[in-house]
Amino acid sequence: MVRFEDVALRYGTGPDVLRHVSFHLEPGSFHFMTGPSGAGKSSLLSLIYLAQRPTGGRIRLFDRDVHNLSRKETALMRRQIGVVFQDFRLLDHLTALENVALPLKVVGQHDAKVDRHVAELLAWVGLADHLHSYPPTLSGGQKQRVAIARAVVSRPSLLLADEPTGNVDERMAVRLLYLFEELNKLGTTILIATHNESLVARFRHPVLRLDGGRVTVTRATAPVRPDKGSAA
Amino acid sequence: MRRRRNDVPLDRDPSGRHLPWLVAIMVYLATLALVCAVELSRVAVRWDTGLSGRLTIQIPPPNDDEATKPPGGQGALERVIALLLATPGIISAEVLEPDEIARLLEPWLGAAARSADLPMPTLIAVTVDRNSPPDLARLGREITAVAPGASIDDHQAWLGRLRAIVRSIGAVALLVVGLVTLSAVTIVVFATRMGLSVHSEVIELLHLIGALDSYVARQFQSHVLSLALRGGVFGLLMAVLTIFAVWSVFDGRFEALGALVRARGLEVAAVAVLPLAIAFIAMMTARWTVLRTLGRMP
Ligand SMILES: Nc1ncnc2c1ncn2[C@@H]1O[C@H](COP(=O)(O)OP(=O)(O)OP(=O)(O)O)[C@@H](O)[C@H]1O
Ligand SMILES: [Mg+2]
Repeated sequence: MVRFEDVALRYGTGPDVLRHVSFHLEPGSFHFMTGPSGAGKSSLLSLIYLAQRPTGGRIRLFDRDVHNLSRKETALMRRQIGVVFQDFRLLDHLTALENVALPLKVVGQHDAKVDRHVAELLAWVGLADHLHSYPPTLSGGQKQRVAIARAVVSRPSLLLADEPTGNVDERMAVRLLYLFEELNKLGTTILIATHNESLVARFRHPVLRLDGGRVTVTRATAPVRPDKGSAA
Repeated sequence: MRRRRNDVPLDRDPSGRHLPWLVAIMVYLATLALVCAVELSRVAVRWDTGLSGRLTIQIPPPNDDEATKPPGGQGALERVIALLLATPGIISAEVLEPDEIARLLEPWLGAAARSADLPMPTLIAVTVDRNSPPDLARLGREITAVAPGASIDDHQAWLGRLRAIVRSIGAVALLVVGLVTLSAVTIVVFATRMGLSVHSEVIELLHLIGALDSYVARQFQSHVLSLALRGGVFGLLMAVLTIFAVWSVFDGRFEALGALVRARGLEVAAVAVLPLAIAFIAMMTARWTVLRTLGRMP
């Protein structure tokens, strides 16, 4: 599904943010990604959702080399990837409902059925009362949930979430993780970048640990900490 | 809460704010130019058919003040008439009476035109068969042979100049329409580029969720189309009002307008199509600009 081979990334003439990064995400797998702030988690995700190209190495997505995709192929590939951005990237002039429906609208679906489906999804993440609110009037945690709903609305084959629980309380975080697990059971491959160690411990999925520009994959068989929950 | 809202909030930025006004002014100018050109060419056609069947032959007065030698004399007039009547292609030749000439000249000369002291040329009005006209150059030579100093005026020189003027006004009108179109294109290109840069974040997001460039282009297209249509219709309305105003100054009667519109259906349609055409061009320009600008991005 996602294969990195000796990937390197650098911004301009700066130092390598990522180097010698190699890993493979099997279709249908569920991974966390952890690492200190500035380790390059967001950068790594941006390589997967094709916002930038690596400065070295090779990336394969859906069994295709991403290096020479045309603009159209890039767009079509992105339609199979749902992304929860660390900074949400909601459109302020559209309501929560319209924001979430956008990925469907972009591929040419928009009708009453879509709206109903979107409204249900927003209700599921606890925003039934905010369907017609504009993002600037929402709290950080509410915006985050709109962003999550938008990422999953089109049932992507691959879901990338960058710190998707950073602005919500532990209970909502767990609820959102269950949403991701549901999606995973339906076949979506999932990669979640997070600082929340207690979630990582609780859900016991393998972890990509990013440090010093390199990745190590840890099988999270043993919980890092007992499941007492170190509240965020 | 049903909406057809644009994903790119183009209606909230200044990139297109002046577009309707500019399009209105451009459509206004282009409409007036076109109407002027069409009207003039109609008038010219009317003059053309009204005049080109006629000739005027002028025989200078017999006793010129300088009196070097009286060239024509009374005999000359008869000779010319005889020659004209013998020439095939000439339907009639009629000598204008001195009174009549004086009447023609009165607006320029006033009462002096009636003065017997004023040496008057003799004028012959000739009607030519327009289907088989005589060879005018030869006729001219023959006339000067029988009446030295006589001149033949077939209005062609004047008509030729008139036609040239009308033709060049037509060309200027087309040029105006061309320039207006060119400015519309330029304005739309710059407004679209500005919109693209103002909304680069929104457009990036649309791309990240899988939008094709053509989807982004559609957002700009529909926006520009509605702005240009609004401006164009307004400009057309203003132009029509101006034409009505000018018309009423000339004619004073508004009732005649209905007849005018009915008689000129095709031309009215052409003028009405102008704002649509400019709006369409503006829309396609926006599309092309977006596709080109985005296509150059990595
Ligand atoms: N657009 C950019 N231009 C230049 N440098 C960048 C850019 N984006 C990120 N960086 C640099 O790359 C490094 C990794 O940043 P990144 O955002 O990927 O880290 P992160 O692991 O997501 O951090 P956090 O946990 O705080 O979100 C940082 O040193 C950052 O300064
Ligand atoms: Mg980050």
